[in-house]
Parts: sequence; C-alpha cells; structure tokens
Amino acid sequence: MKHGKDEKTTNLAFSDVISSRLGGETINLCYQCGTCASSCPVAKITPRFNPREVIKLTLSGEKDEVISGDAIWLCCSCYNCQERCPQKVEIANVIYALRNIAVKEGYIPNIFSEFASAILNDARVVKVSKFVETKRPTLGLPPLQPTGVNALRKILSATGFDKLQQKKEEAT
Amino acid sequence: MDQVKVGVFLSDCGKQLSEILDFNALTDYVKKVSGVVLAGRSSEFWRGKGLQFIVDAIKDGKINRVVVAESLPKLSEVNIVQAVENAGLNPYLVEVIDLKDHCAWPHRKTPSEATEKAKAMLLAAIERAKLLEPLEKLEFSVLKSALVIGGGIAGMQTAVDLADLGFEVHLVEKAPFLGGLATRAGRFFPTDDCAICIESPASDVKTITHTSRKCIYRSGFSEIPNMDILTNSKVAAVEGVPGNYKVTIEKKPRYVNELKCVRCDLCTAICPVEVPDEYNAKLKTRKAIYMNIPNVHPPVYVIDESVCKFHDCAKCVEVCPTDAIELDQKSEQITLNVGSIIVATGFREFDSSIIKEYHYDDYPDVMTNLELARMIDGFGPTGGVIIRPSDRKPAKKIVFVQCVGSRDRRYNPYCSSICCMISLKHATLIKSAYPDTDISICYIDIRTTGREHEDYYERAREMGIKFIKGRPTEISRDTETGRLIVDVEDALLRKILELDADLVVLAPAMVPAEDTKGLAEILGLELDEDGFFKEYNAKLRPTETKLRGIYLCGGATFPKDAPTTSLHAHSAAIKAVKFLTTGKIVKDQRTAVINEEYCGDCEFCPVTCPYGAISLEPTTEEHFVARISDLLCEGCGVCVGTCPLNAIELRHSRPNQMLAQMKALMSINGTSKPLVLAICCSECGHTAVDSSGMAMMQYPANVRVMKVPCTGILQVHQFLEAFKAGAQGVMVVGCKSDGCHYEVGSQKAENKVELTRILMKEYGIEPERLEMFNMVFIEGDKFAAAAQTMTERLEKLGPLPTMGDS
Repeated sequence: MKHGKDEKTTNLAFSDVISSRLGGETINLCYQCGTCASSCPVAKITPRFNPREVIKLTLSGEKDEVISGDAIWLCCSCYNCQERCPQKVEIANVIYALRNIAVKEGYIPNIFSEFASAILNDARVVKVSKFVETKRPTLGLPPLQPTGVNALRKILSATGFDKLQQKKEEAT
Repeated sequence: MDQVKVGVFLSDCGKQLSEILDFNALTDYVKKVSGVVLAGRSSEFWRGKGLQFIVDAIKDGKINRVVVAESLPKLSEVNIVQAVENAGLNPYLVEVIDLKDHCAWPHRKTPSEATEKAKAMLLAAIERAKLLEPLEKLEFSVLKSALVIGGGIAGMQTAVDLADLGFEVHLVEKAPFLGGLATRAGRFFPTDDCAICIESPASDVKTITHTSRKCIYRSGFSEIPNMDILTNSKVAAVEGVPGNYKVTIEKKPRYVNELKCVRCDLCTAICPVEVPDEYNAKLKTRKAIYMNIPNVHPPVYVIDESVCKFHDCAKCVEVCPTDAIELDQKSEQITLNVGSIIVATGFREFDSSIIKEYHYDDYPDVMTNLELARMIDGFGPTGGVIIRPSDRKPAKKIVFVQCVGSRDRRYNPYCSSICCMISLKHATLIKSAYPDTDISICYIDIRTTGREHEDYYERAREMGIKFIKGRPTEISRDTETGRLIVDVEDALLRKILELDADLVVLAPAMVPAEDTKGLAEILGLELDEDGFFKEYNAKLRPTETKLRGIYLCGGATFPKDAPTTSLHAHSAAIKAVKFLTTGKIVKDQRTAVINEEYCGDCEFCPVTCPYGAISLEPTTEEHFVARISDLLCEGCGVCVGTCPLNAIELRHSRPNQMLAQMKALMSINGTSKPLVLAICCSECGHTAVDSSGMAMMQYPANVRVMKVPCTGILQVHQFLEAFKAGAQGVMVVGCKSDGCHYEVGSQKAENKVELTRILMKEYGIEPERLEMFNMVFIEGDKFAAAAQTMTERLEKLGPLPTMGDS
C-alpha cells in the first residue's frame, strides 16, 4: 500500500501502527463476526462500548474517534472476547495498545489521571485519607509504612510517566 | 563407440535472425570446432526440407550427433527428435538451442556482441552433444485393474466409470453400507432431490438408458460383472509400484451371508438388543442386527458386534429362513493386485463438542446439519417432522449457527465452502414444509458461489427466514423452561441479541475423514496443512498425486458439493484410464544412476528424493547401497545435488557434460562486460529466459544461459567451477520455491547457494557474485532486470582475481 500525504491515507495506516505494537499484532485478522461483542459483559449493558466496533474503527483508520473517545476505557479486561474470538485476535490486548497511544497523545480519562497523580504523590494507586489511617489501629492493623515515593518518582520520571498530566493539559 | 561426428544446423528463421547475427561468421566458426563434420544453414530445420537435410545426413552415416539452433526449440525439438529417431539415430543424441529468444532478440541492439555470444552458445551445445550418451526406452507393465477407496458418491461414480470401460474395479468401503455422507444427507442442493442417485452403468443391458440418473438400488451398478464391492472393509497395507500394487484389505465380519440374506426383516424384529441409532442422530433406536435405511447397498443386514450377544442369544439365527446369519464369521484378509488406486475417502463433520460454549454434548436440542438432515428425510427417525429432541415436540423456532469450527484459527482456518448452502437448503426445506416455523441464520458471510446457489439465499429471504450477521458467542439453556438462548450480536443493527430457540442447528466445519492420516501413510501420499489429501497441482492436476497411478477425488481433497464431487470423480476416472489403458508405462532412461563404488552408507538420497525412487539395499552385513527405480525416478537430479560423495549422476546431465557446457559458454566474451553464467532449471527458470526474449526485453550479451533439469541438481563445487571457468557472477534461476516442478529442487538450490556464499566469503570472493532467483514464465521482465542488475553489480565489484587450479 502506498501511503499518501493526505490525512485520510495517513489515517488508514493506523491499523499498521497498532499491528506493529505489542498486543496489537493480530488486529488485521479480524473479519467482524461479532463474537467479541456478544461475549462482552460491558456491551451487554451499555451501547457506549462494543469491541467489534472499536476494532472496525481502528482498521478503518478512524484514529481520532477511537483514541479521543471513552469506548476504549470502558473495556473491563475480562478477556472473554479474546477467549472466544475465532480468528485469535487479541482484542483486549489491542485495546491496551490503543489506550497506550491515547495516553501518549494526552487523552486520559479523569479517573486514570487521578490514579496517576496518586502514584506520583504517594506511590499508592489510591490516596489514603487521614480518616482511614486513624481507623487502622482500631481494626488491629499496623500503621502504614512509608512507600519510598522518592525512589519511585525517579523511575517514573525516567519513563516520562510524570509528564502525563502535562500532556493531558496540552491536549485539552 | 564410433567416432563422434557432429552436424550443426543453423536456422536463421527467414532472415529475421541473420539481420542481427552474422550467420556467415557463425557457420565458419562451427566448422572449425573439433568434432563438427557438417554445418548447414536454412530458414528452418524443424520441418520440411531443412529437417529432411538432417535426416539424410544421419541416414548417409555422415553424422551421429545433432545440434540444431532453432527458434521455438520446445516445439521444434519434438519434431526433430522424432525424425532423428525415425532416421535410426538414438534420439537422446540431439541438442537444440534457441538463438532467437536467448540471443538475437534480447541483444538486438548490440549485434556484434550477440554474434560472439551465439558462438559461445553453439560451442556449448556442440561440446555437450559430443558427450551425450544414447539412452534406452523403458517399459513397465500395468495391471488393468483399479482399487477405489471409499464408497460415497465420489467413489461410486469413479468405480462405475472404470468398470464401464472394462477395467476390473474393487470398491472398498469401511462402513457396512455404501453411500457415505449422501445417504445421511438425504437431499442435495442444487436440485433438492435424492442424494443417492447415480448414472446408469453402460454395461447393464436392462437399465442402460440415457436418462439422467437412477436410484442406486435400481441402477444395477453393483451387478457390473467386473465390479467387486467390498463393504465393512479397509485398506491395511499397500506394497509395490505404480501399475503393480499389492493391496491388503481387512474385511470385518458382517455375520450375515450376503448371498443368502433375503432381507425379510425377521431378524431385526426378534433381536432383543436396542441401542441409540447414531446414524439417525440418536433420535430413534435400532437393533443389534440392522440396516440403516431401506434402500441401502448392499441390501443385507449387518450385526453390530459391539452390542450383539451372539451365541448367548442367537434368536436371529433361529428365525432366519435362509440360514443367512453366521455368528462365527471372522475377519478376513483379502489380497488385491491392482494397477491404480483412487482415493475417495471424503470428509465428515467437525466434532462440535470441542467448542464448549455451544454445549453440543450437553443440550439435546443443539444438533448439527447432518443430524437435522435425518429429521428432514421422510425415511428418517421422525418421518420428516422437525422436533425438539429433548421433549419430541415440534420445533417452531430454529436458529442456525454457521462456521462452527471453520474459519476458526483455533480449529480449522479454512472456509468449508458448502455449509452456507447446506443451511440454506435445510432452512428452505423446513420453511416450505412448515411455513409457521421461525427460522434465523446467524452468519459471518453467506457464501453461495455456485450456479443457482444465490437463488437459495434469495428464496430464503422471500420466505421470511431471518439473517443475523454475527457469530454467536454462546448457547445457553433457560433452567426453568429448558429453552435455548443464543447470544449473538447483529452487527448490522449493532445490537446484542438473545435469541430464543427450540432447536439450534450447528453448521460444523467439514474435516478430513477419519483415518485419513493413516491411509496417507499407507499410500505414501502427502496431506495439506488442513489434513486433506494434497493434489499434484492445485491448478492443473486436481485429481492426481505425485505418485503415478494414484488418484484423488471428491471430499478427500477438500469439502465439496455434489456437482463438484461428480466432476472430480469423473476426472479421476479418466486420469486412471489414461494410466491403465495401454497396460504399460513407457519411460525413458533420463534417470539417475548410482556409482556403487562411491556410494557409502549414508541415507541422504532416499530421504531427499521427492518421488521415493531411491531405496537402500544391503551389500554386506554392515554396508548398503542406494538403488534407483527407473520407474519412479523423474530425472530431476535432486539426489545428485544432495549426495556428499558424488556417487549419483543423471544419465542425461552428467557432470562432465555440465562442465563442458559451462566452460564453452565462458570461453568467448565478445562484450566489454563481465561474464555472467545463468544456470536455469529446464522448467520455469528457462521459460522465463524464453519469455524475456520473446518480448524482446533487452539485457546485455555477457549473460549466458545454461540449462539444467532442476536447480536441485547443483552442488556447491559447481558454483566454484563456474567462477574458475571465467564467470564473474553466477545467477541460479529456478521455479518458485513452493512451485518447483520437482517439489524440493528450488529450496535445495537456495540452501546450496546460501552455503556457497558463506564459503565464498571465506575464500575472499564477494558473496553477492552468486544469487538465486525464482521466477515463472510470465516473469521474463524479472529475468531481464536480474541480468541487468547482476551485470551492473559485477562492474562495480571489478574483476575477480584469476582462480588457480588449487
């Protein structure tokens, strides 16, 4: 396939971008049978997420729609779709690949950026409140140990993780 | 041997060549070559006066080797060789080359260079001709009889064709009754009438008509005198060679004498043993002594030995009015001697229980298309009524699920090709009989590619059958109502549905028949990656195998519908007839020969030979020697290329002949460019050179073509010899590696080239001076481009240091 300069053709190569990423290798095998959609517990309760549609949009080069939308973040990673897919498309892994691209480009849902800042500030995924800390002894639990947040920050800074918030602000 | 006297005949093709090549110079040149006693020039030598000139020279005893430079060598060679043979000279002493497509036309812009190349080509042909040896014609006897394995519609049709044409036919079926899948399917598309009819055999006086078809039971096909039908039998062993196979058949006991049984039904009536009838989807029971359906062949009961109580019961023996029941029958081994074998073992449904989420094993109301066919059949267990097996109430809501285990990379990645039509046939048959039935078909893609097949799809929509584009993820059962629920997304509506159903019909993949692998091993045949028998050439030889005398037909090669199966069966029959009809195989001695003095206890060649032509024979207690079957050898030379001791040669392409040719081609340059030797296989490689010339594609005249039977013959030292002979670069041009005419030759050559390149590096020779190319006839442009590229590359690399003799 020749890749032209106009936007549409550039977008068509989006499936190539995915298929060359870890987890995305199998995307081109999809023939849209919908087994994933009927396997999906999320699709069963909300029309906002349909794994078959996410794959189709990706294959069709609709990059913006996929990475700026909330669908990819609604996957609950149960891997049902992946178990059942007759073409062995690693659907849940493809969605991870898409999420990584979304994050890289600054499309991060609030809940995830909150996790990110909790890790950066406290080295914990969820911020532990004063209330919880005072409650622990009454439940017979030992006090929380320090988390070594400084060491972690060094690692996160080396990977660029600490820039996520900044990227998000740039994108919005 | 007589002194070698070469006659060289130069055709200028009505001056179209002499305008480019200097024919006077060429004639003068060949006259001076040692061994040449006669040189002729004409506008053509492959027919008419020109050919007569050659014939006369042979008859007069002037020449005993013939070199012809002719256009269209592949066509003209046939004529020339035949005439030479008629004139009394061994036809293998002829060498024909093409000065038009290999020289004049591709080098028309550099005529003087082309003339020098033509000299080299002529010299090479003369040097090779001088070393040619007379070869004999060989004949091998062929028995005029055939074994057909598999008694479904493919096997039966092939058997009738062969028997009608007078050959002795043994039709072997492993089941107790003939008919294969057809008897269970009941009806076939695209006619919706009976699956088990057959054309009337021509040899039966009473039934012979030109009417289109007859039911098997009234066709008289089993009564053709030279037809031997063996049911309950399977092939246990095959020995021998094409034309003379010794086949061991294991015939299981039927316990009922076929010659005595009058099918009065007294035995089945009294038999106390009742078991679920698998043939009828377990929708009814059958007795231990039984017949599948009334119109089967042979019309004789069989005892199911896994459930019969034999002498502890023997009630059937008591009631049988003709003493036909023989409880003491034993398995017997039958030996058949046949010339040809036709494999018609068919296919079967994939085991749907492997896909756990469809609960085929757990829910009785989930069944397959073949089981449904039993319900549609009026002879079937429900008398044509479609029921819900769990409670035997009529099924009013039916959901079909397509692609169960097919187009599925976990099980069978291919499309079974007939299942869409089977479901459409069943759905429309049910809807016509019971219009109030609610039918949905869940599909990924509907494939109706045959003639009149799309009509089924259209009719189905008109009838109100619903189509849901989606592959269900799961079939579950409502614990309270016991009804089935099919979870599927309708992708076109983007809706997740839960379909309610009385009955779910699976359309499973069609997979190779049981024991296909075992039979392939017995016959020495290859299977494809899906486990079906592999045909010799998918495009041109769909019913042949690599082995002469063994043919394939029907679903044994891939799932097929009835029309395609018929075509295939008749095609296999005609191929077998072609093989059997003369009672002999005529071959020539263009085969490999072992030098027993060198051959030394390795096992490379028998493993490498694509035709199984080489066996090992002990010479002493510890040593053995390779033996080549002239019958099986196809003369490719892959063994030559493999032998580490140079103990094998091809009679028609000896190493000294190749070396002489190589040296001659490199002895004259005539251009300012570095000499390139293009070693081409005689199949696709050489024709790619032809086609580049035919299309007048230009490449430089320093590129010289040498033809070998197959690139698989080449050995590492030959590449080095080419450099020693003066080549600055070597191109190896063979068939595509998956399209090699001798199966493995191209791949072997590729490996050899890789190995040589490593060696060259060690010797300080740039490895890029040697390269393998794979092309077919229509890729003449690729050859011209490769020749050009190689020349430019060598010009950049500069001359190769002269190689010494060490």
